[in-house]
Amino acid sequence: MPTSALSATAPLDIVVDLKGVCKTYRQRQRSERLVDAVRNLLHPRFREVHALQHIDLQIRRGEVVAYAGPNGAGKSTTVKLLSGVLAPDAGKVQVLGMDPVRDRVRFVNHIGVVFGQRTELWFDHPVAATFEWKRVVWDIPDERYQRMLGLLKELLGLDEFWGSLARELSLGQRMRADLGLALLHEPEILFLDEPTIGLDVLAKRTILRFIRDLNRERQVTVMLTSHDMSELEQLAGRIVMIDHGHIAFDGDFSQLRREFADRRRLLIETPNGQAPVLQGAQLIKSDPGRHEYVFDAAQVTLPALLEQAAAQAQVLDVETHRAPIDDVIADIYERWQRNRG
Amino acid sequence: MADNTRTNTLQRLLRLWGLYARMDLLWMLRDGRQFAIYALSDLITNIGSVTAVLLLAARFAGIGPWNEWQVVFLLGYAMVVNASMNMLFQYNVLHISRRIGRGQMDHTLIQPQPLWMALVTEGFMPVSGSAMLWPGLGLLIWALVRLQMTVTIGWLAAAALNLAASALVMLSFSFIWGSLAFWAPRAAEEISSAAVDLVSQLKGFPLDALGPVLLGGLLTVLPVGFVAWYPARCLLGLEARPWAVLVTPLAALLFAVLAAFVFWRGMKHYANVGSQRYSAFGHRS
Repeated sequence: MPTSALSATAPLDIVVDLKGVCKTYRQRQRSERLVDAVRNLLHPRFREVHALQHIDLQIRRGEVVAYAGPNGAGKSTTVKLLSGVLAPDAGKVQVLGMDPVRDRVRFVNHIGVVFGQRTELWFDHPVAATFEWKRVVWDIPDERYQRMLGLLKELLGLDEFWGSLARELSLGQRMRADLGLALLHEPEILFLDEPTIGLDVLAKRTILRFIRDLNRERQVTVMLTSHDMSELEQLAGRIVMIDHGHIAFDGDFSQLRREFADRRRLLIETPNGQAPVLQGAQLIKSDPGRHEYVFDAAQVTLPALLEQAAAQAQVLDVETHRAPIDDVIADIYERWQRNRG
Repeated sequence: MADNTRTNTLQRLLRLWGLYARMDLLWMLRDGRQFAIYALSDLITNIGSVTAVLLLAARFAGIGPWNEWQVVFLLGYAMVVNASMNMLFQYNVLHISRRIGRGQMDHTLIQPQPLWMALVTEGFMPVSGSAMLWPGLGLLIWALVRLQMTVTIGWLAAAALNLAASALVMLSFSFIWGSLAFWAPRAAEEISSAAVDLVSQLKGFPLDALGPVLLGGLLTVLPVGFVAWYPARCLLGLEARPWAVLVTPLAALLFAVLAAFVFWRGMKHYANVGSQRYSAFGHRS
């Protein structure tokens, strides 16, 4: 399939370029005490919330980048900066060679944005009416509109609720419609802020598959935020992790696992109820005859652990698998929190 | 080059108005019963809003220096101004503070068109917003017939200019107050509605008997006088000075400039702080 008809830059070039970007919010401090409240009227106290601090980030055309971080890390602020609805306090934001705020009108023709907690659909109109609205407001040529509409209807199954009012849709249907709407004008970059929030597993799978196909077949650059790490791992080749306004990690998922301890699980079955004591592994669960450990593969090897187990008990069966990415990320967040504390 | 841009802008505006008119018509025709209830309730509300003044005028053969048919003209004029607001600036354009306070400016900012163009076109609802137009025009025509006024092209042009200016005064007033929502999103979310309601409630009264201070206030701080009373006086020939017919358009221009300035400052602030949870009296998400 051809790449975006709007493409103005060569493949493999840098489409998102953040240099030294800072964004700070001021939060008024309040108190429960009356005397403080009166004092605050005259001398309000503020706390500075550094949403982004000297962020440098580049994304190449065709990449799928997961943008992750704990709550309040600055993910949504970044998406807003990149989509032109917010200006940085310092630094430079360039997307497709444009300044998203200064060149807003021209710029937004080239991007698609989905804010997972909001909808672009006209609530009291059928889904079809919002697509027609978008055709006129975005001034999409007929040929492109028909081609994209056909494609999106097929891939996202929009026909199922095409004539329903937006307010009658389920969360999953609404998200499918919002995604379709964001792609109708064939954007070069798609910014997705929590696109699967609140969706059931089936709806989630449909959306993820769609994003993956879109990237593979149409080379659309995708940047998405989510709290669901396993979903990000399925989708993105690269993960950028942000913590308190700083980029704390930028690489691929296997690198992330290596760098922040390659946590794995080991399940051993023995004929008796006693769990073998394994140096370098932590026992996390023990049922009669089934014992589950967690270990860091960078610190201790699997054969060494099995050798220890065999020395203490008869090993009937062994299972090993990588710890879910959610656990890895939770450990990382916990470590960051400890380091700050 | 400049002519081409102007033509393109006009074409785009017409296309967008056409789109919103179609959407509005389809919305009204979606359900016959809902349409009937909507139209009937609008009619009752609108008649109710002018009945008190109308009855007072009928009972006392007018109000102050206004005879009863001049009062009917005033009420008709006020209704047509309201109708034009309802037809042109629905969808939280007139009530701009709701759009700002609810963080909905983000939706407008990701559209590939200037902000003014979105605001001028998005609220166009010529069908569902027209409930006040027909009774308003009816009152105007009825009053003109009873007053035996000679309607010339010049008079019609002056009436159209003043109606547009009155609507602009009302819109500007709403934007001036509504822009406060940029700084206090949640606290000021309904401030445009309060401002519009205040003007709507007072606009149908003849203000002649008021003292200069109060009247000055009602032409500046709370510009109710320009929404119906003063332009109606001019159109009925109650103002002796011939240039008086241009006062409301000039006032509208001043209010519009002030509104544009305050809104522009608000947008600059919004570009810096966005719709985030840390702002004082923060955004409702």
